[in-house]
Amino acid sequence: MNARVFPWGEPEAAPLRTLRSDVRTYLKEQIQRGRFRPSVDGWSTGWDEDFSKDLASRGWVGMTIPTEFGGHGKSFAERFVVTEELLASGAPVAAHWVADRQMAPSLLRYGSDGQKRRFLPEIARGESHFAIGMSEPDSGSDLASVRTKATQTKSGWKVSGSKVWTSGAHKSTWVCVLARTAPVDPHDRHAGLSQFIVNLASAGVEIRPIISMSGHHHFNEVFFDDVVVPDELVLGQIGEGWRQVTSELGFERSGPERYLSTYLILAEVIRQVRAGALPHTTAVGQWIARLAGLRKMAFSVATAIDRGESVNSAAAIVKSLGTKTEGEIVEFADRFHDQAGQELAVLRQYVETGLLQRPSFTLRGGTNEILRGVIAREIGLRG
Amino acid sequence: MTVNHVDRDLSAMINAFLADQPAPTFSRSPQALRGRLRFDRSQWQELDALGLARLTTGTELGGSGAGLPEASILLSSAAYHGVFAPLAENDLLANWLLQTAGLPIHGGVRTACVRREPTEVLAVPWAGDVDGVVVLDVSDDGCWVSDLRSSDFQTSPGSNIAGEPRDDVRLLSDRSERVQVPRSVAEEFMLRGALARAIQMCGSMSRILELCVDHATTRQQFGRPISRFQAVQHLISDIAAETALARMATDAAVREVSTDRWDTNSAKFAIATARSCAGHASSVVVPNAHQVHGAIGTTLEHSLHLYTRSVLAWRSEFGSVSHWDDVAARLVTEQEDAWGFIVSGESPATVV
Repeated sequence: MNARVFPWGEPEAAPLRTLRSDVRTYLKEQIQRGRFRPSVDGWSTGWDEDFSKDLASRGWVGMTIPTEFGGHGKSFAERFVVTEELLASGAPVAAHWVADRQMAPSLLRYGSDGQKRRFLPEIARGESHFAIGMSEPDSGSDLASVRTKATQTKSGWKVSGSKVWTSGAHKSTWVCVLARTAPVDPHDRHAGLSQFIVNLASAGVEIRPIISMSGHHHFNEVFFDDVVVPDELVLGQIGEGWRQVTSELGFERSGPERYLSTYLILAEVIRQVRAGALPHTTAVGQWIARLAGLRKMAFSVATAIDRGESVNSAAAIVKSLGTKTEGEIVEFADRFHDQAGQELAVLRQYVETGLLQRPSFTLRGGTNEILRGVIAREIGLRG
Repeated sequence: MTVNHVDRDLSAMINAFLADQPAPTFSRSPQALRGRLRFDRSQWQELDALGLARLTTGTELGGSGAGLPEASILLSSAAYHGVFAPLAENDLLANWLLQTAGLPIHGGVRTACVRREPTEVLAVPWAGDVDGVVVLDVSDDGCWVSDLRSSDFQTSPGSNIAGEPRDDVRLLSDRSERVQVPRSVAEEFMLRGALARAIQMCGSMSRILELCVDHATTRQQFGRPISRFQAVQHLISDIAAETALARMATDAAVREVSTDRWDTNSAKFAIATARSCAGHASSVVVPNAHQVHGAIGTTLEHSLHLYTRSVLAWRSEFGSVSHWDDVAARLVTEQEDAWGFIVSGESPATVV
């Protein structure tokens, strides 16, 4: 009867509203002072280490890291509120994004005590820059086919192979690498994978830029040639890499960065409609309503994470709907104005960034086709 | 009180009763090929005996005194189980109007409508089947409520695309007492009706999702269940995702007005959001569901049409999809701080 495929929603409690308004006031000041220029998809392309440190000094990085590891012991709901405000303002948050979103929860769940003490305080200070090494030239959506190999030596491990689409590797200190530590078992392709934390300054690491069609240097290909990794930088259990990686996908897939990457564009359209430079259109309501619904879903996933519930399929729903919407907002805004007029110059610039970033929205962090497969499994279509 | 806090026993009782109901029947004629749903009066009496026909009506007026979250469980479950009755019209609209006007609530089943022209109101839900129509007169001078008995009006039959009665009402006399009510009542009437339809759409879309999963996992083609095909999985995954979004937005709207504040910008925005999300969801859910079902899904003998047709009907009642997009667009464009409005739902003037 009436089965739910999604956790219940909760209203945002009063303390969260206060936190929200603190962050918003701070961001408005920063923009007014010219501290940063809002940018579309700023969580992916806006790298500003000083800004990350400043946010951290206010307690807005590493929020869910317990205080004993230098964090703030806050809930995912609180982190949600802060990240929403950061993204809606187009703040440059890429420098700490991966460390804060992915590495912190992974380290907390699978890291050794030594790893937690070594990495978490630095992440919470906004000074830790991590890249994630998952995809390879021959392993995109089919992650189990990774060929980067780690072999055990007397003094640790040696990693060889290459990773691709490694965001920010050229600016990061560390990369978390998924590598094969046992030959492929045809009956269990997901077995024999492990995770390693690799210092990007190590001998044998080579980083080559991949320039996006927008002209940005964001992606890299990273080569590993017998790179030595000490035992203490194995993350979690040898052979458990697949489970470790997939169990953490909820954190990565349900956040506000899956529906707000192009919010600046919609906000600018609204501003120009209000100013009379663009005509009123009902389409604004369609996209605003969709974002309003999506953020309720994402918030309910954050509160479900706080309750310790499994959120993989709910996160897949948020990401597949949200990233599609991000692209549709760009499309709408592009069709809705032309390039004439000084007052639309900012909108034009946002839209052009959006058009060139758009293809990534439904690819990064699991393609929408993979996500629909996750949803299909959840609702009983894949046995 | 939110939707997820509704008493489990009540929710289970509602579902058990509705699941047990016979399939709806239609009367068909050469003039009305797709049929008109028959109002099942004995079913209504059972609903009434269980306290479900007047769920949110005050106990002092013979109702059950429940809130909107309970009503949303009832309306959604009824739609899910294919039980068609004027539940929203009787309880959330007609009785609410009478209660607001301080008029007595006699027995029987009622519908409600807004009258802008003196003698005729078009497409009034279930008007030909009910015992009375509560009329809300809206003019430049103000708003009035009157409770018309069946001798006060004539109906000519019509139906929406789902076959639900939507009859034109001709008012014969103005003998009944007219009570003036605040002007805000007219807008709240629209919001209540709109939210009720969003809730019903969610119930129907949940059922459609389930029918698709059942069909795809049992229907064999090319030697395997069609659910094995990725193309089919993706059609159904999109139904699941859109339905989840519509339901999330609708639950949020129910929560927003469960405090009984309908006159705030945040309440209007929440309901517009629910109707927009549900409306646009239907543009994915209905065609995808029919694509998954193949030709059998287009027939009267398969039950899919009960749910797809009702979603199509409800998305255009109490405002079109575009109307609610427009409401959301105007509300957000009016704000100095659009983002602040979207996230807190409250414009500063209406924070309570």
